Amino acid sequence: MLDTLYHIVMVPMVYLAVAWCIFGVLYRVASILRAPAHPHTLALFPRSAGGSLRALVEALTWPTILRKAPVFWGMLVAFHLGLVVLVLGHIDLFPQVNLVPAGSRHMVGWGLGGLLFTLPLLYFMNRRVKEPVRLISVPADYYLLLLLLFIALTGDSISWTNSWNPPIGFVITKAELATHYFDRLAHLSFASPIEGMLVNSHTVVVALHVLAANLFLMILPFSKVMHTFLAVPLNRLRRA
Amino acid sequence: MDAETQTKLIEAFGKKLSSAVRMYLEGCTRCGLCMDSCHAYASDPRIEHTPVARAQNIRRIYERYFTLNGKILPGLEEAVELDDAWMKKVYQTAYTCTGCRRCMTVCPFGIDTQQIQGIAKQLLNVAGDAPMILNMLADMSVAKAKTYTDTKANFAAAVGNLEAEIIEKWRSEGGDAVVPLEVEDAEVLYVALAGKHSIISAAAIMNAAGEKWSLSYFEAVNFGAFVGNPAKTRDISQRIIDEAQRLRVKKVVICECGTAFRVLKHMMGELPFEVLSVTELMYQYVRDGRIKLDKSKLEGVVTYHDPCQLARNGGVFDEPRHVLEQLTDKFVETTPTRGHNWCCGGGGGLVAMGEKDFRMASAKVKADQVKATGATVLVTACENCHTQLHDLNGHWNMGVKVEYLTELVADALIAD
Repeated sequence: MLDTLYHIVMVPMVYLAVAWCIFGVLYRVASILRAPAHPHTLALFPRSAGGSLRALVEALTWPTILRKAPVFWGMLVAFHLGLVVLVLGHIDLFPQVNLVPAGSRHMVGWGLGGLLFTLPLLYFMNRRVKEPVRLISVPADYYLLLLLLFIALTGDSISWTNSWNPPIGFVITKAELATHYFDRLAHLSFASPIEGMLVNSHTVVVALHVLAANLFLMILPFSKVMHTFLAVPLNRLRRA
Repeated sequence: MDAETQTKLIEAFGKKLSSAVRMYLEGCTRCGLCMDSCHAYASDPRIEHTPVARAQNIRRIYERYFTLNGKILPGLEEAVELDDAWMKKVYQTAYTCTGCRRCMTVCPFGIDTQQIQGIAKQLLNVAGDAPMILNMLADMSVAKAKTYTDTKANFAAAVGNLEAEIIEKWRSEGGDAVVPLEVEDAEVLYVALAGKHSIISAAAIMNAAGEKWSLSYFEAVNFGAFVGNPAKTRDISQRIIDEAQRLRVKKVVICECGTAFRVLKHMMGELPFEVLSVTELMYQYVRDGRIKLDKSKLEGVVTYHDPCQLARNGGVFDEPRHVLEQLTDKFVETTPTRGHNWCCGGGGGLVAMGEKDFRMASAKVKADQVKATGATVLVTACENCHTQLHDLNGHWNMGVKVEYLTELVADALIAD
């Protein structure tokens, strides 16, 4: 029974979540693009040169945050860098990609990606529960942070404990994940990753990590994470 | 609130949803960085005075009626039903914000709270809850487009009564009208306010520059914009556009009114004539040597308040400073200044509505900013700002003389 649940969470639900996320994001973006253009300029002055390129740079570097709240800015930089490292780390789990040597027990970033991602989340939560930010927050803000924290902590647990227990790893080795799980996902296989891999007591941690990631992907198009896709066009409006 | 009214309001909301506004409503992460960028919150730190809280009042309606998650799980985003109680929050969004867009300068995404405020104002218009005074003034302006031909003679007579005061500042050029009307092919159509002060100084300056100009029959101020009614905003501007086209003028120059300037310059699309503020016109005259100014006329330390709609939202920063350089050697900047200058707290229709208690309480930060300069003369280039700063001066004992830039220039005119 439990194996069936693990299978559903780790295979069909992953496909569903990714498809749902892509469809949802496209739907949301399309609904914005379909809306009529604003009848007049929304630019601020003085206008600066650079247009779209400048908007892109601002959307990626947040100069207004750096000027106003440097600690918050530092945490945001760490968080987003961590996110990039973790995305690369997960891509590296496909056997077709080798950003670190295939035989390495470590993910890309050697666990630092997880730290960069997790610590800022704790800072964001601390900031969110304190006034005045608490007063402008809605339940979705907390649930999203909690979900991300859960994904981060279970991911850290998998990654770090794996590194701390050579030679086979405490939870699961990178090579095992590549062969029994990510390679199958890459081939859109519905075969269970349980057999031959998830045999120890930490299987539940991996399954919960995947479950939370699936949920995140599914709510992403309907959450404020959409700012990822809106940051550049919004910054462009300010300079248009 | 009955179902029919609610339906009308939701439809009106939907009509405001341009792609930009959708992004403004969907892109906020509620990071809170905008909070103390608002003069109201900086002066009186109550959460309802923050840009994000004002926007949330509208965003929560949006979530309920225009998003899937708001319909399925309204509690997550605190989506709300639009009812009479919530319309009070809508009013708060509409009329505790001056639309200065200072928050936009600090928002990492550049979310324009003024556009979200525009939804609030339109909902109040549809519900019949918009401030009556603003609607009356807007309606009078719209009506004038149809009736002004009947009152042309009276207007000319009233303007004629100003001649002596204008000549006192600058002798009339021989043979030319002191205040010309209906001048076809004029270089400039000058659009003043209803008060004579906005005509006298500008007339003296344009006469001193030897300008071929004509005074508009219409007042520049756009109460349609203040009340957030796009149709009235357009109709009020259209009167001026039609007049300018009829007279075939090259430039329309807007008096010291930030909103009127921004609406005509930046919100009415491509026009067959140039739109300038009178501040820019004065700068051009100084730059081209068409007027000369006497620096000895203006005494004391001088500072300048950037009207939000003229500066941050209109692009006029350097021109008033160049003109002031010709009026004084004792100019000091405020901190912050230019694009980040604090709003005076009187925009968005608040001055016209009265609202003095709120205006004074919410603009303490402006008063403190001016006091910190040590200036004794506070210059601005917007009627609304002038009224508000004058009120602030009395309320917070700023110890300054509040002056229009045009009046200072007119008083300092010297012959070649």
